[in-house]
Amino acid sequence: MIEVSHLSKNYGERRAITDLNFKIEKGDVVGFLGPNGAGKSTTMKIITGFMAPTSGEAKVCGYDVFLNPIEVKKRIGYLPETPPLYPDMLVEDYLRFVAELKQVPIEKLKPFVDRALEKAQLTDVRRRLIGNLSKGFKQRVGIAQALVSDPEVLVLDEPTVGLDPKQVAEIRDLIKELRGEHTVILSTHILPEVQASCNRVIIIHEGQIVAQESIEQISKLSSGTIMLNIKTRKHGVLESKLGALDGVSHVETLNSQQYKLTIDDDEDVIESVAREVMNSGLGLLELAPAHANLEDVFLKLTYGQNTR
Amino acid sequence: MNGMYVIFKKELAGFFQSSLFYFLSFMMTILLGIMFTTSMEKFAQSSSNAMLQFGVTPQALNIHYAVFLPHLSIVNLIFIFLVPALTMKLLSEEKKVRTFDLLLTSPVTSLAIVMGKYFAALVTILALIGVSFIYLVIARRVFEFDWGPTLVSALGIFMVAAVYVAMDLFASSLTENGLVSFVLSIVFNLSVWFVGALNESFDSPNVKAVLEHISLNTHLAGLIEGTVRTNGLIFFFSLIFLFCFLTERVIESSRWSD
Repeated sequence: MIEVSHLSKNYGERRAITDLNFKIEKGDVVGFLGPNGAGKSTTMKIITGFMAPTSGEAKVCGYDVFLNPIEVKKRIGYLPETPPLYPDMLVEDYLRFVAELKQVPIEKLKPFVDRALEKAQLTDVRRRLIGNLSKGFKQRVGIAQALVSDPEVLVLDEPTVGLDPKQVAEIRDLIKELRGEHTVILSTHILPEVQASCNRVIIIHEGQIVAQESIEQISKLSSGTIMLNIKTRKHGVLESKLGALDGVSHVETLNSQQYKLTIDDDEDVIESVAREVMNSGLGLLELAPAHANLEDVFLKLTYGQNTR
Repeated sequence: MNGMYVIFKKELAGFFQSSLFYFLSFMMTILLGIMFTTSMEKFAQSSSNAMLQFGVTPQALNIHYAVFLPHLSIVNLIFIFLVPALTMKLLSEEKKVRTFDLLLTSPVTSLAIVMGKYFAALVTILALIGVSFIYLVIARRVFEFDWGPTLVSALGIFMVAAVYVAMDLFASSLTENGLVSFVLSIVFNLSVWFVGALNESFDSPNVKAVLEHISLNTHLAGLIEGTVRTNGLIFFFSLIFLFCFLTERVIESSRWSD
């Protein structure tokens, strides 16, 4: 559905993205993850045909975005970082205008606009001026605008920015609903968002892809080791004792009662750690193994291993 | 549906639904109302005792020259400032509120964007010329005159306004700031009249000839006299084409910069 090969874009001297390669199948919901300034928006702008790449190529539905931009644009719904809204238009008129721009056949205009209003939950404000809406509503008009032409590919640049928690959950559900029939790329630096709505994730850092996996695989990326949080009742020093145990690779003393251990993913190791703490007579209050989540993987991949 | 028509329709609705258009035509009717009645009175006076006056040119006794042409030249003067007010937001605002992103990611060509906006502004200008014709229509109910020369002169003013629209649309494409685009547009609109004035500063007959040919004055003069010349029309159309083309290039170039 979307094929990107050797894509690079320079802004003058600065290299925004270098040599990106990825492929997205039909029906996938792909999270584009990366810290601010990693090149997420740039990549999306190139895929939508908004911007020309410095080198490399991108194909959407088999059409090259550079050689055949009109065909690509017919099939894409795009929500930029700032929703492209005309403040002096009514919500309904605006969506109709976008649908006409996207060449929706005239007899389908009304049902498509109604459907987009309903999906973004804007039916109550359909006759209001966009300029008078709150930020959250404007963001939803932006999403409705991307959906209105029922495009095969949806490109959403940080779709949940500015929404309240309930609306965020609703938008995530909406994106989940789109899985299967539409191909969705969404960019974000909010990790739970990717976990909640995507089935694949592409992590990008300083213009390069550092990982592209399915959600299930990515949590296994750092497998082999797990984190163990320990809390004791009494104050004491345990760092050297715990560090000497087999299978414990790293001990971090948070304070005289709390420790954070990096250990091999093995139940025997956990048991021996527990025994060691008991024997020390300090009193074991808490022993909590934590499996690496997406956040750890993300930080590890983007900021290096030793920042946490 | 055709992308150009969609943009044309939206912009046209934008012009006629906004208060700006009605405010501008209101201001225009006030100015024109004052000027039209004074020149009409003057004409009535001089024609009633034409026999007694000595040295009155025949033009002062012709209603076309004495009343209608000053009327249309005021329309032209108003347009120098009014066309920029209408067009200043056409592209600069799109850039500012980032709706440009929507247009550039929609299946429309840059040419369709430019032409849609250009024709919408042109129809609006035509409506304003229509407003200025209210005075002539009322005058026609009172007495008889020949529409021919007046309509040809109005065509001249319309062509000049069409050149303004093209230049001002170009000015609007250059900046994100509406005010900058407004000022730049006025400079453009005034400069086409000053090119003719440069004529005096050169001695070389070749330079003089060139300047005369690229001066709007020369080409408008023909139309004002009631004669439609093809070289004049070609001149107007090539200016319009030039600036629309430049605007299209500016829009297309935004794909390449950051």
